Order: sequence, then C-alpha cells, then structure tokens
Amino acid sequence: MKFKILKAIDVAGLQMLDPVVRLFYGETPREQLRKIVLFIVIPVLTIILSVLLWSYLAPRHTTKAGEVPTPGVVLDAARGIQQFHTWENQKADDFLLTGEARQNALAAVDTRIAELTPLSVAAAASVEEAKATQQAYREKYATPLEAEYKQLRNDLKAKEDSQEEALIAEADTLGVNDVAARQAYLKKVAAFDAMEEANKETLRAFKDKIDAVYSEKFPVLEAAQTTYNTIEAELQYLSKRRDYLTADNQELKIASAQIELKELETGFLSATTGKETFKAAERMLKKQESIDRIATSEYSRPWTFPRQIWRSLACVFLGFFIATAIAIPLGIFCGLSRVFMAALTPFIALFKPVSPIVWLPIIFIIVGGFISDPDVSMFHPAFLSSAITVALCSLWPTLVNTALGVASVDKDHINVARVLRLGLVSRLFKIVLPSALPLIFAGLRISLGVGWMVLIAAELLSSSEGIGKFTWDMFNNGSSESFAQMFVVVFVVGIVGLVLDRIMIVFQRLVSFDGAPTAL
Amino acid sequence: MNTAEDTLTFNRPTASMAHLELKDVSIGFGPEGNRTEVLSGVNLKVEQNEFIAVIGFSGSGKSTLVSLMAGLQRPDSGSVLLHGTEVTKPGPNLGIVFQNYSLLPWLSVYGNIELAVKQAFKDQSSSERREHIERYIEMVSLTAAREKKPGELSGGMRQRVSLARTLAMQPEILLMDEPLSALDALTRANLQDELVRIWEEDKRTVVLITNDVDEAVLLADKIVPLTTGPGATLSEPFQVTLDRPRDRTTLNTNPRYKALRNEIIHYMTQMNKESKALRVDNGLEMPDIEPIDFSAA
Repeated sequence: MKFKILKAIDVAGLQMLDPVVRLFYGETPREQLRKIVLFIVIPVLTIILSVLLWSYLAPRHTTKAGEVPTPGVVLDAARGIQQFHTWENQKADDFLLTGEARQNALAAVDTRIAELTPLSVAAAASVEEAKATQQAYREKYATPLEAEYKQLRNDLKAKEDSQEEALIAEADTLGVNDVAARQAYLKKVAAFDAMEEANKETLRAFKDKIDAVYSEKFPVLEAAQTTYNTIEAELQYLSKRRDYLTADNQELKIASAQIELKELETGFLSATTGKETFKAAERMLKKQESIDRIATSEYSRPWTFPRQIWRSLACVFLGFFIATAIAIPLGIFCGLSRVFMAALTPFIALFKPVSPIVWLPIIFIIVGGFISDPDVSMFHPAFLSSAITVALCSLWPTLVNTALGVASVDKDHINVARVLRLGLVSRLFKIVLPSALPLIFAGLRISLGVGWMVLIAAELLSSSEGIGKFTWDMFNNGSSESFAQMFVVVFVVGIVGLVLDRIMIVFQRLVSFDGAPTAL
Repeated sequence: MNTAEDTLTFNRPTASMAHLELKDVSIGFGPEGNRTEVLSGVNLKVEQNEFIAVIGFSGSGKSTLVSLMAGLQRPDSGSVLLHGTEVTKPGPNLGIVFQNYSLLPWLSVYGNIELAVKQAFKDQSSSERREHIERYIEMVSLTAAREKKPGELSGGMRQRVSLARTLAMQPEILLMDEPLSALDALTRANLQDELVRIWEEDKRTVVLITNDVDEAVLLADKIVPLTTGPGATLSEPFQVTLDRPRDRTTLNTNPRYKALRNEIIHYMTQMNKESKALRVDNGLEMPDIEPIDFSAA
C-alpha cells in the first residue's frame, strides 16, 4: 500500500508529498522531517514572506489607477469576480424559471429586498453622518487656514504692486545712456523678480497645508461608503432578478404574448372587409413568430471571467491539437528521412523565433477571408485565429523533439527490427514510435506551456473572448478595482499553466519506460 | 508444424554442403586511404547442429563477424553462405542474441517474445501462438516474470529473455554475440548450464562468440580462435572431444579438459604477444641514434 501511494505520488509529480507519506509509515523520521522542511516548510515560508513584502510595498506606490492593490484587495477583487459570475448565472436561470419554482424564487428575492432595504437606509444615514463629520473637520481646520491664505495673498499682492509702482517711478528719473545708474536699476528689478518668485513659493506651501487637510483620510467614511455600495449593488441585482422573475421572464412573456395572440385571433375571425382580414392575418402571424423567438431565446450572459477561463482553455487545446496534428507527422518524416529533414530545416529555423504578435494579424486577415459571416460560422474568427497562432508558435518543440526521438532510436532496436524483417509500418509503430514516445511527450509538454503563454497575448490582440481580453478590458477600464482584477489574472494564469504542465508530466511519466526521472 | 522455413526460401540442405559457410570474407571500415581492415580472408564451415565457439580478444572483430553471419552487415569481399545461398539480409532464420540484450523496454517479457514470434510464424492461431510463447518462457525459467518489463529484470534475466526471443523464432542458426560477457561470474555460470540444457533439449546449429576460454570449452564442439586485428582471421580450430553432458564440477579435474584449456590459453597468449611484437615492427622506424655522454670528454 505504501509503495503504491509513493508510486502514484511519483507519477503525479508530487514528490513533495513523498516524505509526508514515508513519515506517516514511520520510516526514518529524522530524514523525512528534514525533507519536509526542505520541500514544504521552506516554500510555504517564502510564500508568506513574499505576501508580507507585497502588502508592505504595494500601498507605497500610487499610480493613476490608484494604489497598487495589496493581497487583501486582490482577494476581494477575486471574490467580486466570482460574485459577478454567480449573479449573472442566477439571472440566466431566473429568466427560464417557470411555475412554482419561479414563485418561490420571487418570494425569496422579495424577502431579501425587504431585509436589505432598511439596512440600505441605515448605511446611507451613516454615510451622511460620516460626511457631516468630515465637513465639520474641514470647517474647523481648513476654513481658518483658507481665510489666512486669502489675507496673506492680498498682503503680498499689495506689497508687490507698491514696489512695482516705485520701480516704475524711479525709472522715469534715469538719465539716458547713464550706464552705471541703469546697471544699478537692473539689479533692483532682478531683486523684485526674485521677491515675486519667493512670494509664490510661500503661497504654494500654504496651499499645500490646506490641501493636506482636504485629502485627510476618513476611514469611517470609506467603510460606510463601502458598506452602502455593497448593499446597493445587491439591491440592484435583486431588482434585476425581480424583473427576470416577473415581466422579463420567458414564461410570462410568452403567456402575455399568447393573450395578445388570442385577441388578434378573435379580431381576425370577426373581421369583415377584405383589407381588415388581410391585415389581421398578417398581425397574427407576426405575433406567432415573435412568440417562437421568445421561446428559443436565452438570457444573454456577459463574458464573466470564469467563462473566459474556459473559453481560453478551449482555445489553447484547439491550438495545441492543431499543433500536434501537424508537428508529430512532420517530425516523424524528419526523423526518418534526412532529405525531408534537410528540406524542412530552413523553415524550422526561420519560423521558430517568430513572435505570436506578428503571426496574429496575418492569420486574422487570412481567417477573416474564409469566414465572411462570423455569426453562422462554427468558430468565431477571432477564436480561430488565436488558436492557429497558438498552434504556429507551439508546434516547434514537438516537431523538433519528435524528429530527434525518431532519428535517435537505439541501433540495437533497429537491428531487432531488421532481424525480424518488420515492414515499414510495423517498424514505425512497434519500434520507432514507442521508443520516441518519451521525447515526443517531452516536446508536447513544452508546446502546451508555450501555447498557454502565447494564447493570452493572442487573445489580448485579437479580442477573442478569454483571459487575454479580460486583461485588456481591465487595463482600459482603468479603475483601481480593475487594477486589482489584473492581479487576479496573474494568479489564475499561473495556476492554470501549472495544472496543465502537471497533467503533461503525468502523461510523460506514463509513456516513459526507462524509469528516468522527468525534469520538473 | 510451422517453422521459419515456410516463410523463407532457400535451398534444401545437401549432405556435402556445409550448413553455414564463410568464404574469404573481408570487411573494413573508414574512408579510402585511412582504411582499417577488420577481418580479412575469413573462412569457416559450420555443420548442421554443430556448436562452434569463436574465441578472441576484445576489439579483434568478433562482433563484426557475427553481424556478417547474421546478415546485418555485408562483407566487402567474399561471401556468407547458408546452404550454399548467399545471405544478403537478416531474417528470423538467422537468430541472433545480442550482447546487450536489445530488448524493447516498453514491452513485457511476453510482449518482446510475442513480437518475434508473430513475425516468424505468421499463420499461427492465437492459441497456438500463446502456447508457443509460453513454452519458450518456460524454457528459460521466466514464467513468473512473464508480465515484467525489461527494466524490472536483472541482467541475467534480461539475457534469458533475449535468448528465449531468439529461440522462439526457431532459427536455423543461433548466433550469440558474447551473450554472457556483461554478467557477473555466478550468473554467467548459471546461464552457461542453462544454455547447455537448452541446447541438449533443442538441438540446433550454434555459433557462440566469446572471450572466455572456459566457457568455450564447456559448451562447444569446436573452438575457432580469431587472431588479433586489424585484419583478423580465423586460425585452425580446436576440436573439443569431451563427452557430453559436461559437468562443470567434474570437468575441472578432467585431464583432457585441462590439457585442451591450457593449449588454447597458451595459443591465445602467444598470439597476443606475437601481435604486440609485430605491431612494434610495423610502427615508425626509429632513427638509429644514441645519446652521447659529454661529461666524459
């Protein structure tokens, strides 16, 4: 049992759990504890340390999108993303609810609204209160300062004006071409200018003092505002839900349309003149059509972040699949035939370093040429272009590794194939491919990693719904909340990439026969 | 019963014709001008069901010789004949046991043998085939390790799998290229006994390449020394007239065994010395100068 667990851990690439299992079975506790410290405690400590460092540094740099978010703010942003997703899903469900379920949901919504309304009122009151406190504080400290400032400004102004007049008057007395006197005068004017400059500086310093009072933080007010906003957001959401459970509900919409249809029908049946009958018939048919449309319609959900993650995954796997389908056969041919390899080498060397940012616009135009109407096509052109860009950038590691694996089959194994007189096909499938498989999978693993990195950039550029587009939207949004959401993206991309890599490691281990440890 | 002969065409053996014959075989490597002759003018006749051991120092071209006999390499001149027909390519009738086992690491013991059997006996039904494979696994006493991968087996077990794989093809000639040289002494002794037992059970023509005189004397009917390279060739064979079955424990006290063994070892060491001496003669001609002692003047 112990060894089965250890083997499973090894195959899954979770070696850090190995000492825990061994310790559990009481094997060399000192040694295992040392390993636990090394593989688990130290990484956890570094994570904690970096989070602490982050919380310390983040508020010390202010950008035009607000402060750099602290871990807590990022966590809140993640919760916000999740809440938006749940709310939108709830609305979509509400739209389709029927009968008693709809009634129950409506009742629950009304109860919640009843609960929240007084809270909202209370929150608004406390916001007002906090604002009043702030106002009082400002009046107490800022108002006298402002008066003083005005006084000071006027004083300085008066002084400057009088000096200026005096200087002008003195200028009148200066003799023409009296160099010495005019030089002395010039010095006086310079002194005047310097004084003017100094006065400005004094005023600016004073003004800063006033600004400091105004920009003084009021945590109480901020907290009250946040509470109020949260409650208001939920209330707004509940009122939307109410709409989807009542007037905008699919079932109810159809029902009311049916009633209208019935009326139109009676109108049609009782119509006497030809013109009237024709018109009534047309109206009836149009109504019928609109009922059909409502019956098949769905709540148009926005692209929430969790949906965009799935979309990105679908895109990366489509690209990865295309890359694999191209790279493995080509790699096999390259490995088998030197001529083929020689023919392909310049292309590999030339295209391998090309950035996704270059491929994407080209592919976008080409794909756009094939798909004239995005609405009827199976894939959205932006989605397809992103996938093809992923494929173009990620096929190289697989191609090169497959070629290498196929070309470097053990000579002894080739001799076995010769002795057995295996045909080309069985030689390929029984000797060459199995022996190249570990290298091929190593290539696939690198390809998937590259693909995932490329995808985000491709989506960002092509506006294909996905993580990349989410990031771009958040960047353009520019609020401090969306700034925090971009940090969430960093972690999501990292975690998804990590999971993908782990999955590939498991596959790689399963096909590797030599028991050699895979690089982690 | 199906044998390898059904799938391959060659002349029926005739009484006068040797089973496997090497005629004036020469082979070398390297480009023109910097060519190394590995074997030159090799002649050998192997009779049906004869057990021949080719013995030689390492690097003397033993593996090349076996590759030639197996058809994995073609000679530069001369010919390798099986029943008077030239061997032009390898095949299941020329079974070869490689020095480093050459097992496919992704297949189990059964899978490795199955691959060979499927190829050698294409018309077997699946139950016949299974029985056939099981029989050979049994023969090398690996039934318990049937589903194991080569990576999980010891060196001796791997070589047994390799032997079973080759035997299962029921080749006309069994070529063994230093099959036991990578094993430790105890395992080697063990497998030698096994080889004797299997050969007694399943008589066929065997060419064993080895660097171990004891092994050669223990197993073979005829021992052919390979002279040291480059340009190695086979010298006069030693006939081994010891009675079979030979028992390793009593053999040590057998005077005929001792005499033969000593004779061969003496021959081999002599040959080695000669070749070393020859090599010095063939080397650069040294200028005939001597140091002068200036201090005496």
